[in-house]
Amino acid sequence: MSERQLAFVFDLNKCLGCQTCTISCKTLWTDQPGMEYMWWNIVNTMPGRGTPRDRDEMGGGFDAEGRARAGVLPSAKDFGEAWDFNYEEVFYEGKGQSAYLHPRNPSADGKDEAPEWGPNWDEDQGAGEYPNSYYFYLPTICMHCTEPACLAACPRTAISKREEDGIVLIDEDRCDGYRFCMEACPYKRIYFNPDRFISQKCVMCFARLEEGVAPACVRQCPGRVRHFGYLDDEENDVFKLVKTWKVAIPLHPEFGTEPNVYYVPPLAPPRFDENGEIDEENPRIPMEYLRSLFGPAVDQALATLKLEMEKTRQGGKSELMDILIAYKWQNMFIPFVEDPGELSRPAPKS
Amino acid sequence: MASRQERPQANDPGDVALPLLGQPVTRRGFLKGASAGAAALYLTQLGCSGGDDGIRRVVEQDQTFGDWTDVYREKWTWDKVTWGTHLIDCYPGSCLFRVYTKDGIVWREEQAGKYPEVEPGVPDMNPRGCQKGACFSDVMYGPERLRYPLRRVGERGGGKWERITWDEALTDVADGILDAIDEVGPESIIYETGPGNGGIVNGPLPGWRLSRLIGATVLDTNGLVGDFNVGLYETFGKFHFVSSVDDWFHSDLILTWHMNPVYTRIPSAHFIYEARYHGARVVNIAPDYNASSVHADLWVPVEPGTDAALALALCKIIIDEGWMNRDFVIEQTDLPLLVRLDTKHFLRAPDLPDADAGARDDQFYVWDEATGALAPAPRDTLRLKTTPALEGRFEVDLADGTRIEVVPAFVLLRERLQEYTPEYAASVTGTKPSVIRRLARMVGEAKRVHILQGFNINKYYHGDLMERAQALLLALTGNFGRKGTGMRGFNTGQVQIGTVVKDRAGMEGFIRLADRALDVEKELLKEDPTLTEEMRAIGVEQAEAERRVLLPYDSGPLTVPAAFYWYWHAGYKDVWNRSDWSDPSMKRPLGEYLDEAVAKGWWDGVALPPPDKPPRVLLEVAASTLRRTRGGYKVLREKLWPQLKLIVVVDLRMSSTALQADIVLPAAGFYEKTDFRFPTTHVNFLTFTEQAVKPVGEAKPEWELFSLLARKLQERAIARGMESVVDGEGREFPLNELWDRFSMRGALRERDVDALAEDIVRDTVRVGALPERTTLKTFRKEGIVRFTGIGQTAEGLNLATDIKPDETVSPLRWHVEKKLPYPTLTRRIQFYIDHDWFLEADEALPRHKPNPQMGGSHPLKMVSGHLRWSIHSTWVANRLMLQTHRGEPFLMMSPDDASSRGIADGEHVRAYNDVDEFFVKVKLGPAVRPGEVIIYHAWEPYQYKNWKPYDSAIPGMIKWLHLAGGYGHLKYWRNNWQPQQADRAIAIEVEKMAPEGDV
Repeated sequence: MSERQLAFVFDLNKCLGCQTCTISCKTLWTDQPGMEYMWWNIVNTMPGRGTPRDRDEMGGGFDAEGRARAGVLPSAKDFGEAWDFNYEEVFYEGKGQSAYLHPRNPSADGKDEAPEWGPNWDEDQGAGEYPNSYYFYLPTICMHCTEPACLAACPRTAISKREEDGIVLIDEDRCDGYRFCMEACPYKRIYFNPDRFISQKCVMCFARLEEGVAPACVRQCPGRVRHFGYLDDEENDVFKLVKTWKVAIPLHPEFGTEPNVYYVPPLAPPRFDENGEIDEENPRIPMEYLRSLFGPAVDQALATLKLEMEKTRQGGKSELMDILIAYKWQNMFIPFVEDPGELSRPAPKS
Repeated sequence: MASRQERPQANDPGDVALPLLGQPVTRRGFLKGASAGAAALYLTQLGCSGGDDGIRRVVEQDQTFGDWTDVYREKWTWDKVTWGTHLIDCYPGSCLFRVYTKDGIVWREEQAGKYPEVEPGVPDMNPRGCQKGACFSDVMYGPERLRYPLRRVGERGGGKWERITWDEALTDVADGILDAIDEVGPESIIYETGPGNGGIVNGPLPGWRLSRLIGATVLDTNGLVGDFNVGLYETFGKFHFVSSVDDWFHSDLILTWHMNPVYTRIPSAHFIYEARYHGARVVNIAPDYNASSVHADLWVPVEPGTDAALALALCKIIIDEGWMNRDFVIEQTDLPLLVRLDTKHFLRAPDLPDADAGARDDQFYVWDEATGALAPAPRDTLRLKTTPALEGRFEVDLADGTRIEVVPAFVLLRERLQEYTPEYAASVTGTKPSVIRRLARMVGEAKRVHILQGFNINKYYHGDLMERAQALLLALTGNFGRKGTGMRGFNTGQVQIGTVVKDRAGMEGFIRLADRALDVEKELLKEDPTLTEEMRAIGVEQAEAERRVLLPYDSGPLTVPAAFYWYWHAGYKDVWNRSDWSDPSMKRPLGEYLDEAVAKGWWDGVALPPPDKPPRVLLEVAASTLRRTRGGYKVLREKLWPQLKLIVVVDLRMSSTALQADIVLPAAGFYEKTDFRFPTTHVNFLTFTEQAVKPVGEAKPEWELFSLLARKLQERAIARGMESVVDGEGREFPLNELWDRFSMRGALRERDVDALAEDIVRDTVRVGALPERTTLKTFRKEGIVRFTGIGQTAEGLNLATDIKPDETVSPLRWHVEKKLPYPTLTRRIQFYIDHDWFLEADEALPRHKPNPQMGGSHPLKMVSGHLRWSIHSTWVANRLMLQTHRGEPFLMMSPDDASSRGIADGEHVRAYNDVDEFFVKVKLGPAVRPGEVIIYHAWEPYQYKNWKPYDSAIPGMIKWLHLAGGYGHLKYWRNNWQPQQADRAIAIEVEKMAPEGDV
């Protein structure tokens, strides 16, 4: 546990599943060789298999007794490889309509093997039975856990948690690519760079934070989903949502790592009963399912949310609703409100 | 963490032995740094790299942290920051980005987040942008990017090219154009613009200017793409009224109904969900449980294309329950106007005994309850001096001595609504009467209702009926012209762009243009002194369409609707005359209606090219006609392509039309030139983009490109002795001074893109739509500037509202607050259209009609919508975007429909109907309504096997009523009244395909 902790709140009732967070991270950090298949930030449709696929069944973290749970090492195929596309063949090789643009698995060594998985493969598929289908979007990044299983698992002690802000970092010089961290991380948010033989993951844009600029995924989120700040700052919306209102709760608290990304759990429109009438009794998204993701705290979080929403519907005021509305965008990430476009950061000349 | 400390320590007897090492491990153990055990645990499971030796070695090392973090610091650096936005047809787009350049390459872009607070108590617009805008630089340098002029080698579509110089390319294009003029005439040159590279300085405009100067046929983009809101236009005489997206926050009931904002309004959708937190209820009405249903308070599932039945049932309940806003209905709508029961036409001035020769055919009447007598409905205002009846049946003496009965249109509406009980609507829509009643109550009780109907609705054959029914629901409840109310249109008319109408640059050109427009307005006022400023501006547009009044010399059409070109030349005649794919209530084949419409002069000046002037050259700028024309990939290539001697595509990226073209010319991209995103009032700012780097490869900004083409045309025309050409109507276009005219007498030369931008800014300031003293320099400093007014174009005036510095934009307020009449025939929000054709179709009032069986008799309905990962086809073939879904087109299907056909997720299927077939993979989801299949729009045909896109199975029908004219507002002007193709609810069947190898 660090002296201070930076934390995120992701409001799932505003999340659009648009992957702007995903792309903002991609274009900033993971566009280098060996990182093509990495998506340090990803948004998944839930229920769904997640990224890597079936990540919730891959173990890792700690059990209720605080003991390490065995974990599985996800493969590049589980994450979804970075596909190749045959642009040249289609546009310029004189094959006409016999060649069409489609993805190919690079691991197939030039063979035209169609991918069977990708980072967002099961987008918008969800579960349930029409008209009681249900799904929602779940963005995940490295949770910068208070008790990081990756850190515990690293034989090189290459993983550290910074005292001043709780960011969990993999020292890329020390890392020897053993990938224990990937097995140990219960959220499976660590990737392996085969070119550099190291593990890599979200760095919470520490370089931006040093300049007072919010992480790219936070600042670029068009849905205004992401609140960000110090968890001990009582003036901060993150503190209020997590500690005061308790509507923001961790994903899989049973993993035992005390993650520092908190979620405002999803509401859904009412379901229909077997006659097609609105069913007020049972929620569209089964509570057992939500509890399996967010633990028992999800009941109270949703109840609080509904209660406060009803207040504004009746014309009343609600501090919680005002926070979630986020009237002023910059207030979502105090104190990291600097405009990067105003900074001078000349690229070092090689 | 106290509880954690109480947990068993390593080696405590209570610990469970871990299977592989026989040694218990706890987190506490890990954190102490005694990690060998843990490492070994995972290592063993890993079964590879390292080995125990390796670990011992490692653990014994000192812990020193290097400066690896500097790599990250150094990565986040740049040499230059510029403003950028994306010049694409996304609504509303206009997202201000910062573009970060390093070593002469655009490294990355990030939303600027510079939107100021507009209205206190309303969230700001930051950050705007989406995943596509956030990776445009990847398209910019990607493999689909066009870099050099290309000339086809071998057959069209054969995929063989030679790189040629600009001079060679322009010579080919110029000679091809001159050949066509020589053989057929200038009308045979078809100019099709797309918003795919849609700036207002470059983009479609320079080629459009050139086209006008040589008499080419410029097709109307809005009709081509099917983004004309027919129902709104029929009702309001306009559709270019739209709220700013932050105005949604004022609503207390938002119906997303034919819109999927979570996919298509990514930068703006937060206002919907913030409105929800602010007390609004959000209802999603759609066949499928789509991404926007997820965040709704109520999802109402409906059968595709039955929305009019639902809306009319809601209207009936609203009236029956007494929730109607009677004052609004009487003041703002045509429902009090009297209709003759004998003819079903409105009672008009010439019908009456005291009518003189000057009696106006557009003078209508109400029944004044105060005097118990007829009273003329005021034409110059909506303000009432009488007490019009909404109910009752009255007798009126006519000029011919007969006595007839009249009723307010409202009586006919109530009669029509009798049929639309919740039970009937339930039988049509498949949703329960109780759900319909609940929704009606929500509408009835809400104070500010906004319907977000997207561009989806226009793409249904009877989309106009659905949209009229939605408008009726809001009009009955008074939900127009106030904050948080209304429906979705779009508006790009706040900027004053002179490129296609000015003959001179600067102030001089502005004044000359204004004088010519004023002359037309004077003529119009002479005929009717009650015309409002808005009506006069529309009148100028209509006069320009009909007789080309704005340039001081002969010019080609500003735009023409594509319907006649499609019908006469492009191969749609056979398709459209298929009565079995049309509305069964049509009494005659479509061709007869079309002939009648032309014969009656309803489309004078714009039914082009005439049947005897076949097209010879297709020149398009980021349009991709083969992709976007419904059924076009098949029909156009079979019927139009062989007639075309030259096909030229100007684009950023390799489109499917580019692949089938003769010459492909690379245009400068969004960060490679000075431009503005064409604004729409949704985001009431003008958004700037500037040159971060020189154009990629040999790409050129369109202004430069067409300026060079103008020079080349002039040069080649003189060389070929074609000093001037004449069109079929005798209009003359001197080619020997073409460049002089194009450049506004040399004021705007090839490289003068900035000067052209400055001209647009200056003119927009002159009409009061931008703050005084705004210049290009202001944009270089600020990136965005908020509009201060609606300007003076017809489209701008359609907003009919004041832009206030500290308020969201709510349109139509001049009508509701100042009682300014609407630009419809009746001068009111018009629900009763007594045009003979509408009466014949029984569509004088909104009603429900079933989808025609487009494509034959097949069990599934194919519907569509816009992709999440592309804006039309821009980004659709980008590798990053492809990686965030399945990397290729897919058809979404309900698991029930799939399993009954033996189809599993991810399998290839053959989809077919009487039109054609196509092959695609399926994706199954219980969110899909059984009986419907969804395939999103804008995949490139070259992403499908054999390049056969899904719209191979779309016949591309138009609705014949949209050829009507000779009736008040049912008259063409740019972007407005015209037919467009239907592509939703296509009848189709899907079958499993044998695996690849077995075919």
